[in-house]
Amino acid sequence: MDWLRLLANQGSEAGWLSESFAYGFMVNALVAALLVGPLLGGLGTLVIAKRLAFFSEAVGHAALTGIAIGVLLGEPPENPIIGLFCFCMIFALLLHFVRNRTAVPYDTLVGVFLAVALAGGAALLMYVARKINIHMLENVLFGSILTITDFDLLVLGASCLLIIVGLMFTFNRILLASISPDIAKVRGYNTHFYDYLFVMMITLVTIAAVKIVGAVLVGALLLIPGATARLMTRSMGSFVLLSSLLATLSCLIGTLLPMELKLPIPSGASIILVAASFFLIATVYRIVARKQ
Amino acid sequence: MGPSISLNQVSLRYENNIVLQDISATLGAGECHVIMGPNGGGKTSLLRSILGLTPFKGEVNIHWPKGKGKIGYVPQKAAFEPSLPLTVLDFILLNQSRSPLFFNFNKKHKVKALQQLARLGMEDRAMFRMGQLSGGEQQRVLFAQALLDDPDLLILDEPTNGMDDQGVRYFESLIADLVKENKTILVVHHDISAVRRLQAVVHVVNGTLLESGLAEDVLKPNKIERLFNHYRTHSNHQNEEVA
Repeated sequence: MDWLRLLANQGSEAGWLSESFAYGFMVNALVAALLVGPLLGGLGTLVIAKRLAFFSEAVGHAALTGIAIGVLLGEPPENPIIGLFCFCMIFALLLHFVRNRTAVPYDTLVGVFLAVALAGGAALLMYVARKINIHMLENVLFGSILTITDFDLLVLGASCLLIIVGLMFTFNRILLASISPDIAKVRGYNTHFYDYLFVMMITLVTIAAVKIVGAVLVGALLLIPGATARLMTRSMGSFVLLSSLLATLSCLIGTLLPMELKLPIPSGASIILVAASFFLIATVYRIVARKQ
Repeated sequence: MGPSISLNQVSLRYENNIVLQDISATLGAGECHVIMGPNGGGKTSLLRSILGLTPFKGEVNIHWPKGKGKIGYVPQKAAFEPSLPLTVLDFILLNQSRSPLFFNFNKKHKVKALQQLARLGMEDRAMFRMGQLSGGEQQRVLFAQALLDDPDLLILDEPTNGMDDQGVRYFESLIADLVKENKTILVVHHDISAVRRLQAVVHVVNGTLLESGLAEDVLKPNKIERLFNHYRTHSNHQNEEVA
């Protein structure tokens, strides 16, 4: 990564790039945005097709508890990745396990799990506050480009590669299992396996995106670019590609804009606001187009 | 050659509601079998049991002549969200290929999918969203999906629901062609005159298997009346049990 930072620095000094690129953390953040954007956008289309928007929000919010557990167990407060990973994964898998075995409506069940996770996190934060400066958690909850290290980029790159390779082989089956599970079963696909696989992908991407988007807002980035692309596209292929493009643009612009405009806004909030503005434009366009 | 199917004391209940009780039958290979009966009589549940989509008691054995073959299935209905940009072509490709829809540049896949849609007269709707289609058009697409792998066993749950006359006639000629190819076909159907045209083996189900035989033998006016009488007595019997 040093070569890229050096290159960006030279570009900045030569006047080809803005001053922001002279900072190594900015280059790291942009690389992270380029990695995580397409993935969030692509997975977001499946979140919408499977109507799991509330679920992805819940996984993001469960991160609060995961972070608290990680810190209490002695992980560094700026990067409690093991606590985060383990809790979010258990939360998501348990939620799906219970869903498959009860008649409780899914949104109700997600609401219950979300409330329990948040309450648990809020309770644990009192203990966490005794160990660290509680404001450090804001970086994890709302994203901070200052904290992205080379190791984070490595973890992010590996996670993204894993999910993209997985999606290349399973995208069609995950989609078919959600829109027509009976047909998928008759074709011999293990629909439960694909459901759980998707849940694991969502959890992994949530954790991977925590540094840049923040745990609380990552669910929104799974949802908003997909919702925007749905308004603008006519086929599933273009839906996925446009959603990925919008999520990547949101990540890049949202990371760069506060730095360029010298605004004290967390990267997560900025990214979501950019994504939301795309959604607003698309909605207005659709309304106008329909009237014409 | 399609398989034969043997059912041995197949029973199914949802909590206190007995849906199927001790159904035993053999469905011959290379024939068209139609399951008929009143609403709530367990026709769809029987199909789902045969497909392994619902847990049941008893045994279902599909006897494939040359190793396990392909099954094509048309569900009674599929709920497609109108706002989801899933086109008819997307849906067929989804069933046909593992190449992800966002990365599927294989022209052969698209040509094959379009050919399949053309068989059902739906090629001009290929770029329509699934959720925009009428019920009859969705049934045609589901039928095209079921025929993708040239299945040896075709299981159809009320496939002509919402179809126009042209669609129904096309469906009937397609079924006749498939039977000539010795495929085994199992259809849930409620239209007596259409079933007579299919020249199929009819199985009347209402919780239990009431009668099996050739359409011209089972679907006689006096027998139809008896079957519906049975429906009433069967219902009354169940109500008495519940009371």
